[in-house]
Amino acid sequence: MKKNFEFIAALAFLGVVGIAAIAGLPGNILNLLIFMMIIALTAQGWNVLGGYGGLSSFGHAAFFGTGAYTTTILQTSFGINAWVGLVCGVILGAAVGAMIGFLSFRAGLKGSYFALITLAFAEVLRILANSWDFTGGAAGMMVSINNGFAYLQFSDRRWFLLILIGFVAGGLLLTRWLERSAFGAYLIALRENDQAAQALGVDIFKIKMQAITLSAAITALAGCLYVQNFLFIDANVAYGSWISIEALFAAIVGGAGTMLGPLIGSVLLLGLGEITKSFSGGIAGVDLVVFGIILILCVAFAPNGIRGFVADLWYRRKSRGKAM
Amino acid sequence: MKKLTNSVSRRTVLKVGGVSAMVLAAPGLSRAQAPTVKIGLLQPMTGGFAGDGDLARIGAEYAIKEINDAGGIKSLGGAKLELLIGDSRSNAEAGAQATEQLKADGAAIVVGGFASGISMTATQAAARYELPFIIDCAVSDALMTRNLKNVFRFNPSFSMAADVALKNLVTINDASGKAAKTVAIVHEDGLLGSGLAKLMQARLPALGFEVVEAISHPTPARDMSNVVLRLRSLQPDLIIPSHYFNEFVLFARTLQQQRVKPKGGIYALFGGAASSYRFVKEFPEAAEGVMDVNHWGDPKNPTNDKLMQAVQAAGKFYAYNAPINYSVVKVAAQALEFAKSAESGAIIEALQKNEFDSGVMPYGKSKFDATGQNVNALPLNTQVQGGQIKVIYPEQFAQAKPKFPANG
Repeated sequence: MKKNFEFIAALAFLGVVGIAAIAGLPGNILNLLIFMMIIALTAQGWNVLGGYGGLSSFGHAAFFGTGAYTTTILQTSFGINAWVGLVCGVILGAAVGAMIGFLSFRAGLKGSYFALITLAFAEVLRILANSWDFTGGAAGMMVSINNGFAYLQFSDRRWFLLILIGFVAGGLLLTRWLERSAFGAYLIALRENDQAAQALGVDIFKIKMQAITLSAAITALAGCLYVQNFLFIDANVAYGSWISIEALFAAIVGGAGTMLGPLIGSVLLLGLGEITKSFSGGIAGVDLVVFGIILILCVAFAPNGIRGFVADLWYRRKSRGKAM
Repeated sequence: MKKLTNSVSRRTVLKVGGVSAMVLAAPGLSRAQAPTVKIGLLQPMTGGFAGDGDLARIGAEYAIKEINDAGGIKSLGGAKLELLIGDSRSNAEAGAQATEQLKADGAAIVVGGFASGISMTATQAAARYELPFIIDCAVSDALMTRNLKNVFRFNPSFSMAADVALKNLVTINDASGKAAKTVAIVHEDGLLGSGLAKLMQARLPALGFEVVEAISHPTPARDMSNVVLRLRSLQPDLIIPSHYFNEFVLFARTLQQQRVKPKGGIYALFGGAASSYRFVKEFPEAAEGVMDVNHWGDPKNPTNDKLMQAVQAAGKFYAYNAPINYSVVKVAAQALEFAKSAESGAIIEALQKNEFDSGVMPYGKSKFDATGQNVNALPLNTQVQGGQIKVIYPEQFAQAKPKFPANG
């Protein structure tokens, strides 16, 4: 599949979602789409580091939570505008990414060691957020309900979905740039063989630092937007392992290291969850079982993610067509 | 295969489909449609709190059956109630999504929520549609500070329950000649436990108790040995714990195994297992003498016994979720009766302006204040005595005298 085609198809999909939202969608579908876009954005962040850079993180909650808490604290404790809070959240999330990256990459951590250290950082932050007073401790924090563009809250949530679609489209643009830039090429080179990349003159420490900072910034942005939608966070929501798992799940199932992967993964996983729920016949948990089975099938038969699976089919069909 | 596909033509499919649809629709056409009003029950049916959600469902279904058998909502022409169950999956995001789904499925009012975090996002989702929402047992004080007109809380808040717990503790302790002087607090590090520890540390000294230590632990906890060893060295007269079910059981069992028996025993506030028959039946020795201040049905109300039997008949252990959800559905039904309409605004107005019978909960008449809090909500003091959970305080609901000091 041509990259241009993929990019245009993804934008067209987002466009259709946006138009459908404007035309009018039921509240539950709107809510689902909003959550899908938040997870897609988180997964896009994870994809920069874990997909393109091959540095799988189990602790992207550290960045998600930092973004979420920063904007919440700035809004509730200091009365700062939500948009300014969002920018500060992204900057602080990126800074946390840079700090974790600096400590990990200087020590030469990669593979499962890097994954574990990111998990540990996220856990430390969760425990701290659970006990500090300024993060609301275990009671968590609420953002006051104030509708309006300045507050980044809307009584008509279609606007919020459109803003999210804009950010996810921005994520797509960024990944497209990544795939075409020298930085992206270096990142992929160190994923494939970091020693060979280093031997060829790639400054792998610098590239890894840039990747984790960028990845953390995108994930922190998703954290800020999560708060603006749900208006409540506590330590388990912000820094809990659930978001790290959602991020890597969506990216891996969709196709890690691809532009479309995170979007496909989040739409498919969350969409599938809702569809199976509607067919579960009111028996609690059956949808989760079906969902699990589908997930196992995906992993077993599409090891390169859904995007990889579809691309394989595409090329096979194309080559068969040529052979005939 | 090909032949089979060709043999079923599009026309045949349309014919058969059309006839089937008519047959299926016929029962509905042949008799007048009784009006129904849908009540949404938002509970964790899967995930960590699934057991609580299941008990809540039994309670709510029992109430719905009673109401429908008695002729439904009379002011709405005998409209029957239909229960829609929304699974919050024990997490806040899914709680919001399930509330959206309940609204989409046509719920006129939603009851439940269970945990504070879930109730927080779920009520906010309901607020977008001004969908009336009555919280069943989430206790966080912050829930009712958001000025959401559609949100009501049937159960007592954390502060209300803490006031009652402390007042009753002083009364029980004074009656025993101040048997307990030193207290250790053992709590989980989440919202419930940390909130309790903070409050107890602030208020117990003024009531004549010395807090020797507050020990926190994470949830889930795998081992309580170190906590109990510390308690062994501190030797408090009374332990005030606050955990969820599993940690409470683990803690009580570890105390029993290490033979640590504080003179006053265990006095819990919203104890995870202290008011659960599962704990009492599975670990009778560890449970004996444990006191709790919790949501609990009025033991003198005969319906409470019937509800307990219904829970047991379903093969479950009775806990507070069943009576409180039975009662909150009853309140919702009365609100519909007063409102004479299934329209949101009318139901909210009815909830704001009227007093309600509280089902099997010991609240007398439930009345919601300007914030939406039921001002008459009251937790009960229970104690495990002889393998049964007995209400020991306040006196008008008491089934037994407090055994205090429990290990004296």
